[in-house]
This record gives sequence, structure tokens and C-alpha cells, in this order.
Amino acid sequence: MSHQHHHCKKRTFWDRRDFLFQSGGGIAGLALAHSLDQQGLLAAAQSDTCEAPVAGNPFTPRSPHFEPRAKSVISLFMSGGVSQVDTFDPKQALIDYAGQPMAESVVVRQGHPGPLMPSPFGFKKHGESGIEVSDIFPHISKKVDEIAFIRSLYGRSNDHIQATYEMQTGQIRVGFPSVGSWVTYGLGSESSSLPAFVVMNDYRGGPLGGPTDWSAGFMPAAYQGTLFRAVGDPIVDLQPPAGMTESQQRARLDTLAKLNEIDMAQNPGNSELAARISSYELAYRMQGCAPEAVDTSAESDATKKLYGLDDSMTEPFGRQCLMARRLVERGVRFVQLFHGGLGQQNTDTWDAHSNLKENHSQHAKETDLPIAGLLTDLKARGMLDETLVVWHAEFGRMPISQRGVGRDHNPGAMTGWMAGAGIQGGQVIGASDDFGYKAAEQRISAHDFHATMLHLLGMDHTQLTYRYNGRDMRLTDVHGTLIPQIVA
Amino acid sequence: MRGITGLLGLTMRVWLFIAFVGVSGVEAQPVSAITFTEDIRPIFERSCWNCHGEASQLSGLDLRSRDAAIAGGTRGSALVPGRADESRLYRVLAGLDDPPMPMGGDRLSEVEVAAVRAWIDSGAHWDEGGATSAGAALSALENSELPPNARNYWAFQLPVQTKVPTSKVFEHPIDRFLDSARREVGVSPGPKANPLARLRRAYIDLTGLPPTPEQVNEFLSDTERGAWERLIDKLLESPHYGERWGRHWMDVARYADSTGFEQDYVRPNAWRYRDYVINAYNKDKPFNQFLKEQIAGDELDHVTDETLIATGFLRAGPRVQFREKDNPERRHDYLDDVLATLGRGVLGMTVHCARCHDHKFDPILQKDYYSLQASIFGYVEIDHPLLDRADERAYRKANADIDAKVEPLQVQIAAIEEPHRNRLKLELIRERFPENVQLAAEKPADERTAGEQLLAAQVLSINPPRQRVVDALSAEEADRHSELMSQVEALDRERPPVPPMAEIVTDGDYRFAPDGPGDEVIGCPECRIPPEEPGTFLHEVGGPDYEAPPNHFLIRGDPFSPGSEMEPGFLTVATYGDPPTEIVRPGGRTSGRRLALAEWIASRDNPLTARVAVNRIWHHHFGRGIVRTLDNLGKMGDLPSHPELLDWLAVEFMNRGWSVKEMHRLMMTSEAYQMVSANGDPSALATDPENQYLWRYRPQRLEAEALRDTIMTVSGGIDLSVGGKPIFPYVPEDILKTSEGKGHWDNQTDGPEVWRRSVYVFRRRSLGFPFFDTFDLPDQNQTAAARNVSTVATQALTLMNNEFVLNQAELFADRLVREAPGDIDRQIDLAYRIALTRSPTDAEVEVARSLVGGQSLVDLTHVMLNLNEFLYLR
Repeated sequence: MSHQHHHCKKRTFWDRRDFLFQSGGGIAGLALAHSLDQQGLLAAAQSDTCEAPVAGNPFTPRSPHFEPRAKSVISLFMSGGVSQVDTFDPKQALIDYAGQPMAESVVVRQGHPGPLMPSPFGFKKHGESGIEVSDIFPHISKKVDEIAFIRSLYGRSNDHIQATYEMQTGQIRVGFPSVGSWVTYGLGSESSSLPAFVVMNDYRGGPLGGPTDWSAGFMPAAYQGTLFRAVGDPIVDLQPPAGMTESQQRARLDTLAKLNEIDMAQNPGNSELAARISSYELAYRMQGCAPEAVDTSAESDATKKLYGLDDSMTEPFGRQCLMARRLVERGVRFVQLFHGGLGQQNTDTWDAHSNLKENHSQHAKETDLPIAGLLTDLKARGMLDETLVVWHAEFGRMPISQRGVGRDHNPGAMTGWMAGAGIQGGQVIGASDDFGYKAAEQRISAHDFHATMLHLLGMDHTQLTYRYNGRDMRLTDVHGTLIPQIVA
Repeated sequence: MRGITGLLGLTMRVWLFIAFVGVSGVEAQPVSAITFTEDIRPIFERSCWNCHGEASQLSGLDLRSRDAAIAGGTRGSALVPGRADESRLYRVLAGLDDPPMPMGGDRLSEVEVAAVRAWIDSGAHWDEGGATSAGAALSALENSELPPNARNYWAFQLPVQTKVPTSKVFEHPIDRFLDSARREVGVSPGPKANPLARLRRAYIDLTGLPPTPEQVNEFLSDTERGAWERLIDKLLESPHYGERWGRHWMDVARYADSTGFEQDYVRPNAWRYRDYVINAYNKDKPFNQFLKEQIAGDELDHVTDETLIATGFLRAGPRVQFREKDNPERRHDYLDDVLATLGRGVLGMTVHCARCHDHKFDPILQKDYYSLQASIFGYVEIDHPLLDRADERAYRKANADIDAKVEPLQVQIAAIEEPHRNRLKLELIRERFPENVQLAAEKPADERTAGEQLLAAQVLSINPPRQRVVDALSAEEADRHSELMSQVEALDRERPPVPPMAEIVTDGDYRFAPDGPGDEVIGCPECRIPPEEPGTFLHEVGGPDYEAPPNHFLIRGDPFSPGSEMEPGFLTVATYGDPPTEIVRPGGRTSGRRLALAEWIASRDNPLTARVAVNRIWHHHFGRGIVRTLDNLGKMGDLPSHPELLDWLAVEFMNRGWSVKEMHRLMMTSEAYQMVSANGDPSALATDPENQYLWRYRPQRLEAEALRDTIMTVSGGIDLSVGGKPIFPYVPEDILKTSEGKGHWDNQTDGPEVWRRSVYVFRRRSLGFPFFDTFDLPDQNQTAAARNVSTVATQALTLMNNEFVLNQAELFADRLVREAPGDIDRQIDLAYRIALTRSPTDAEVEVARSLVGGQSLVDLTHVMLNLNEFLYLR
């Protein structure tokens, strides 16, 4: 495939001052472009370069509503539920009242409520901002001055799947488009040789909720995430089977194009036909570009080490983080990474019912260095300002124990964070109550979180709509308030 | 004073107030003050207190008292007395700040906004101490009335047949309606398509399969008048017709073979409903009967296994399967799934939008929603043995008898195990848990601290594995234990074999549902909330008549905020006359409410049902509905492009006994159906680029299922057996791994056993079959409208590289070699006739020959399966 590598361009990261905001975009323009795309009426340019527009491509880049702060997103989803009080939201009250019942009556998902349990981990202040981080994150803690922590995030369900859907789609029910789908629907893609929205799962398996976590819901299937696999070809059916030569495939595609052109001449006024012809050219380019995009072998040893590829503990997630950077570099709009996958839920995800100390030590170790490496690398390459990095789980965990060792689900409070996109780092937004049981100050819902993400990408969450079921649907439904400290 | 100001209208008092302040320039209490009780309270009752009152305090904001309003919610203070401009309450009501309030409801009039401003500016005096009347607000909602003109909208008027327009050119009524509209906009219809194109169109449209060369010859050799009609009749008699059109209905019925959500359990007998649907279409079951069986198949005059299986429709949607009886919110989500499906799928109305408030656009009241909910509220999901009545009784009795014998044995077994279990439990706790937990568990209960009590309760519910208990028994105990166990096993062996089962719906009381899959997950039986009154899951025959468990109006749709108990009822705006809301049978085991609902839905006096049904049939024949939004005939849906035609068809449908096959005959014999699709008429393209007026036949990309079936038909590999258990075509292991652990996929290798029609592929909610997913499989969790049609590179990749497709291409090449050995030109000709129902042109032969010459026949057959012409019905 090396013959195709020269087509697989990286995008140029723009200088903020040179960015020309395209006026006349806005929602009307966006809707128009979308409708033209759907009908394949945009110019059917056939070209032999990788970056030519493709007729009927629903990912033709589109203007945002206003000048964006970031062009792409890397979303780090910690599947299973991360305990806020053991990571980024230390609580003295858990030490002071250890072993006592919580005054407030607590509803737990599993069995009976237990007494308050202090964190088994120590916390220290870091950076100029002095933000406290648990000792299980020795590398992320060095980055606190680049991160805005939100300690008052909350959800509506204590069920993994429903909570995951809420963080991914804004709704706890199935059938709604994921954030990645909305972003690619709104902005299109800057790559014509890679999917706009890429998903990578944990090596142990997919997250709870499965492919619905990155589905396009009621939108056209084109906007659903494309699952990149960790081993082998990144996309299903990407490569012809062993035995088919490059020239044989090219001969088939050339014949296909010739016969389709004869057919198109006899069926005037049908734009879908041209769109489908173009889709084969894009598919052909993807065969060359997608493997190159996820091939980390060409990276320097220093880079590999930065992401922890030299350690079996950090290698799997480190590779995903490195692949995420490479994809964003090549114009992919939205990269969704999941850490924690199906298998043994208590050990293979963050779902620390049975032993919090073991579980969180392990998962923190698997992700700490890779995530810190990603932030370092993005910054070094001048990409951090244009890339929004978000980190969260589906819910937090209880301040009370399960059988003295574990913690149950708690949608009442969790910590999430954002970095990059020119966000002011070193700040803590909102607060949970004294025990970390419920979000207390400046409560932030998934809708608020999503509204803020869209805003950073130059989109007004109230204006980004998709008509379905007789309504102009929104990612944030009828809710959503921007987080002022982040959009400031 | 009250006497005078009370007589003045609000407008006048606002005006007077503004005038007074304006003139005096000082803050004072004017004569005609805006008062809370008279002016502001009605606004709050109508527009604020639903969300910021007794029932709920969204965003933490409570507007029931002045202090609470000043304190505000998560978005800060709502009220700054004396300063309207700084009061969030005023700013959102006036639309100055986001989000404008009231959320989703009618905006306040200018006068009302001015009144609020004036009231705040004058100090926001809460002259009634802040008592609320959420009760009054609720009562207003529960008793709200439709505006008098609500029924004026076209979809709520009963359809009537207008006179069919006259035409010099056309005879067929459909063409005469279409032609009159075409003439109005000035477009002309294209010519009739050639016989082969029409033949292919009819085959794929009615059966989802292209014609074989033999079937082509058969049609071409029928040169008598009426050949087209005979073709349609023949296709309607094909068992493959029901597979094709039944699949369209399954999109509406959000059919799948698994439950969805976290566990995604298999529904092992769901396929019987799928086969019921296929058979219903094949038998041309009248559509009204079809609906009644699906909604109330257990309540009909003649209940059969078939009508019971039909009720699988009600439970075909996603279910958490997890403690529904303890979680009212889940119960209500399931009921909402049923109402949303009936609403959008059958009535073309977004009824579910009225779950939390009156519908924002259509005249659907929230109380209509809860009346409809009352009509289905008794519904429970059960397994039904497919035996005749006597055998069913015998089967149930045999099991009950054995249960009765087993129970005392289990008591004895437990008595032997119990002391050991308690001892072993402490051992286990010592092994597994830290010291503080051990300490808590071992202490006598009255010496534990409050925290230790919690820990003890958590760990003492753990049970050691049974084998460990058995291993700990004394020799004597072990003998007795094993004797009892073998007695139980012997009894279990006497149980009758499990008969074939159907997954059906009937009435009962969900609060007493037996534990099902998922109910054990919690591991805490004592956490269950017991029902307040005694009852049984299914109604016992012989006692008093069945009564549905109470269901309530829910404030803002919140299951924990019940209003009044509801009586069954329908959509007020679409109800003509006074249809019964319960059809009670003496001694009945059900309420008869679903039957009454079904009778109302499938009635000539329902303005929606027949329109929605014919519009869907039209959509599949012509590629777009007369109303484009198949599931929404309301104000937010599209208007019909040909309203008179739609109504004429709806009435015709009912007049012809709700026969779907009659509708196929009617639509397919029109000239419009038989028109060319390749019509580049530049004037028509300019006037009507969307082909709304049908000046050419609209090409349609094959749906995922039809594409797969067409590929297998062309290759000759397809297995056309009808009905039965689902199949699991090969899915790469690493895709299965994305949703491993939950759900089920009995992966089969690619081969003849799975080359059955796509309607038989297992539908798993947690993982769409990848080939279908790529070609726009609709979301299987909600009733579907028209399918999306996307054109993306992954579709190309699938057809280029997917192993199944490549195998089929090879099979196709083998077939050509077998049927036209040694003759490349004949092979090329045959390839075209099989795949595209036509011979190739000279230009095409030349291109094909150069490919086959340079490469191989498989290269050509693979290309054929990728051609645009192959992918589109046109």
C-alpha cells in the first residue's frame, strides 16, 4: 500500500490569526449544504488527489456558526464509572467520618448501603494552580495547569448503559445520535480519505452499551462512528482478500466506473448515481490511507515512549491515544476512545464494586501515562489549541463503601475534565457536597457539557438541529447551559 | 378599591400602572396596582408552576413563594424586587435571556409580560403569602379541552372520496388524480417503461427478488391482454410476497429477536410473531383485522394461537427486563414504547410527545395520552404454551403437581444446609474482607456501631457456594442430603417436556410478575418493594371480573408525581361518535380495554388509520409517500402532495375490505407505476426537480435486505424456504467482541445454511448485522418511518471486499460457466440477463469482454453486483 501513502495528507494546523471566518455560513448555510449533500448536488469533481471533494459526501467540510476554538475532538471515555473521591475530588469528610453511616439516606443500586469509606489513595497539590490529584495519576497530575476540572457533573441514571447513553447522546434512552455524530453532521470532515468520526475500543472489548454508544440514532447512518479495530485492518472489509492483486482490484473498479458511466448517461437528472460512483473512489483511497493513519511504527522511539508503548501495562491505551493524535492530524473530526471493555466487568472496566483500590490502581496506571503523553504530544506539535480533549466516565461512585472495599454507582456527582481548545487550565469548576455524594455548586448536566463542547467547535447548540419526527431535534434537547469558565 | 380595579381588564391596569409610574417618576403603589392574586397568579398557574411548583422544581427553582423566588435555583436568583430588568424571572419571560420561558409552552402576551414587569418593579408583593395551587394547575391540565377548531385540520377530518377528475388521456383513477395535479404545475408524464424494466420492478417491489430468466420468458410469452394484471396476481400469490411486505411492517413494529439494553436477552420465540406477520400478508388478512389481532388478540371473540402470537407486536420493543415491578419509571417507558409505536406507526401521530405536557403542535392533550395509557395499562408479557386447551391444562397441572411435591423436600434440604451455611459464611468473610468488615460481621448485632451495622448487612447476605456447604456436611447429613436431592431430581425428570412457546401479551398485574431473567441481578430480594395490596400476576378465572391496576395522570410525565386515576380513552380529536372504551366480557380474564382501543383504531370512523396505511403502501410502490412523513400526519409532518388522491385511496381501501393486495393491484395497474424512470425531460426537471408530481418513476436504492437477497438470487445460492427460527450469518469475531458478554450471536460460517432470505436473520438490538447496518438498517428500537438512504464509502467497501459478496460473485461465475459452458459471449449475455433482467448493449459487451479477457469471469460477476443499476429499483 505504500504506493498510496503520498495521497494520505496531514492537515495543516491553522494559525488563529489567519483563520478566516466564513461569513454566510451559519445554520441556513449549513442546512443548505447538508441538503445539497444529501441529494448529491455538490460538484462532482473527479480527481486523482486525495483531497478532492466528493459529490454526495455528507462530510464535505461546513462552516461553523461562529469562529471555533477547536477543530477536532478526542474524547476519552472511562467505561464502568470512575470514583471522583479517589481521583480528582478529594474529601476530608470521608476521613473525618470514616466508618459512619451517611446522614442522608442513600439509594444504592446493589444490596444495602454501607458506611462512609475514605479513599485508599493519598492526594497532593500540583502545579501552579495547586489542584489536588490522587497519587494514582502521577503523570496527569503534572498537567493540571492545562486542565479544567469539573467537579459538579451529574447524570440521571445509575444503570451503566443508560448513563453511558446520556453522556454520549444526552438521552438515557436508545435511538439518539451521539455527540460525535452531531459534530460530524455539523462540521463535516477535513479528510476525504478517512472517516469523519472514528471510534476505538478497549482491547478487552467494547464498552457497555455497545455500538449504540456511537450510533447516529435517527440521522443517516453516515454519521455513525466508524469502529477502528486495534489489530489488523482498522475498518471491516477495508482490504480485498488475500489473493486479489492490486491490479485485479483496479481492473474491477475501472470496469465498474466505465459501466456506471454508460448507465449514468442514460439516466439523466439522477444525482445519486454520481455520488455512488464517487463513493467507490473514496473507498479506494481509504484502503490506502486508513492503515497508514493508524500505523504507529513510523513514530520515533521518543514518541512511543511518551505514550507508554514500551510497557505492557500502558501499551494498549497508549497506542489508542497515539492513533487518536495521528487521526486528528489527518483531519478526522472526532475520535472516541473507550478505556475499559466488556469481559470481567469488575476488573476489566472501572466498575469497582468489589475492590476499589485494586481496580482503580490498575486502570489509572493503564491510562495515566498515555493521557499525559497525548497532552504533551499535542502541545508539542501545536495541535492542542485546536483539539478539544475531554475525559469522563458514565457516572461517579459512592462515598460509602460496598462491603468495606468497593464503591457502588453514583450518578449524583462525578468529575470530568476538558483540556486543549484554548481552555484556561488549572481551574476547578463547580463542587460536589462535603462527601462527594451529589453535585452541589454549579451543577453541570450532560446537556451543559455537550453545549459547551459544541460551542468550542464553533456551534451554537440551540441552532444545530436535525429535523426528525416533526421536530427540529437538538443534541441538548431543550436544555443546555454553557459552562462560563470554559467558554470564557 | 378592589371593586373598581377588579372590573378593569388587565390591559387597562397595566396601562394605568405604566402611566402612573411614568408620570410621577417615583416608585409608589398606584391605585390600579397589579396584584399577585389577580394578575400574576393566573400566569404562574398556567405557565410556571408546572415545572417550578409543587410537582417539581426544575433547575432547583421554586416559584411558590417570594422568598424562594428570590433565593432562586441553579441559575441564580429569579427575583430582585423592584428591579424587573435584573430579575431573571422577568428576563426569561420577556425573552431577554435564554432559555426563553415558559419552556416549550405558549409565550406570554405582551400585556402579561408588561404586567410581570410592573409587578416586580413595584416590589413584587406576594399578597397571598405564597400558598400555591398546584392542585388547581393539575386539575386544569387533567380537564383541559381542545380548542373548538382543533378538528379543522385535514388529517382529523374523516376522508371522503371526491369525484375522480376527468381526463382525456387516462382511465385509471390514480392517473386521473395525478394528471390533474401535473397539469396544474405544467409537467408531463414520461412514457411507459419497457416490459423488462416493468417486470423487474414488479418482482423486486412485490417479492424483494429479481426475476429469473425462466420467469422472464414466462412473462414475455404471455402476449394476451391482461398479462400485466396476471403477473401482479401471480406475484401476490408467491409466499415471498409476505416476506417482503411483512418486513416493511416489521420496521413499523420495531421488531427484534432480543430485548436490548445492558443484558440484551434473546427472545427465543419472537420469530413466531415474525412468521405471523409474513403469513398475514400472504393470506391478505384484512388490515383492520391484522391490527385488532396485534393489539388485542387475547380479547377477540375467537382467540386462537395465531391471534395470541399476534400480540407479540405490543412487546416487540426494547425492554430492560430488570425489576420492572419495582421500577415504575421502566414500566412507564414500556407503556410509552407501545403508545409511541401505535401513535407513529399506526395513527401517524406523535402521541408520545404528550407524555409530559399537552402536545406542542397537534391537538393531543396530555390527558389523551394517559387515557390511552389506561387502555393498555393492564398489559403483561407472558409465555404461552402452543397446545390445545386440554393439553395446556394438563401441562400446567403436571408442573404444579410436581412443584407441590418438590417444595417440602426443598424445605428439608434447606434445614440440613442452614447451620453449615451460616458458619461457612463467616469463614468466607474472613477470607475475603478486611479486618473492619470481619469485626462488624462477627460482633453480636446489638454491639455493632451504626456503621458496622451497615457493613454487616452488606456482607452477611453473601452465601457460600452450595458445593462448599455440601462438602461440610457430616456423613450422616450428607447421606440424607443426597437422598433428598435425588428425590428432587427424580421428580424433575417427571416433568412434561416444555412445549413450543409463544411470547404474548395479556392483561394481569405487573406488580406481581414472577422473577424473570435479570431479576436476580440485584442479589437483594429483601430490597424489593412489596405491593401495598394483595394480588396475583394473572387473573384467576371464576372470581370477580379482572380489574386493571390503577394508573394515574402523571405530572410532567413523572412516575413519582401521580395525579388523578385515569379512565381509558382515545385521542379526543380523532374520536367520532361515542365508541366504547371497554368491551367487557363476563368472567373475563382481561379488561376489554385493548379490544375497545383496537376497534377504535381499526374503524372507518378513525380519520387516521386508513390514511396512514395506504400512504405507507404508496411509499413502497412509488418511493415516497403522498405524505412524505409516513409516521406523522400532524402539523409538523409534511402536507400531502395529492390530498384528494390520498383520501380517495383511504376510502377505497376500507371499501375493499381493508385488503392490502387490492391496493397493490390498484396502484400497480396505474400508468404512473409503469412509467420510465430514465426521463431527463429538462422542463420537468426544472419545474419539479424532486419529482413530486410523478413525471417519472422514482428510482429507489434497494434496502439492505433486498440487496442481500438479490445478490443471492443472482448467484443462484439462495435458499428460499419460508419461516422458522432465525439464522446467524457469519460476523467477524472482532465485531462480535464489541458487544461481547451480553446478547447472543450463534455465529454460523458463510454457506448455504445461512443463504436464507434476510428477513430470517436474527435481529439483535445490541449489534446490528453489519451488512444491514452499512446499508441503512433503521434503528430497531423505535417504530421506523421511511428508511434513510445514505451513499458512503463503507457501502462501497462492503460490496468490494466483503467475503460474503465475493463468495456470491464466485458462485455467480460458476453458475454462468455451468449454464453457458465455454462461450464467453453467452456468459456475458447471461450475466446481464440474470443480474439486470436485460441483455447488454454492444458497448457494455465490449467493456465486459475486455475485463474477462484480461482477468476472469469472477471479475465480471463481482463488478455486476456493484453496478448502480444493480443497486437501484427503477
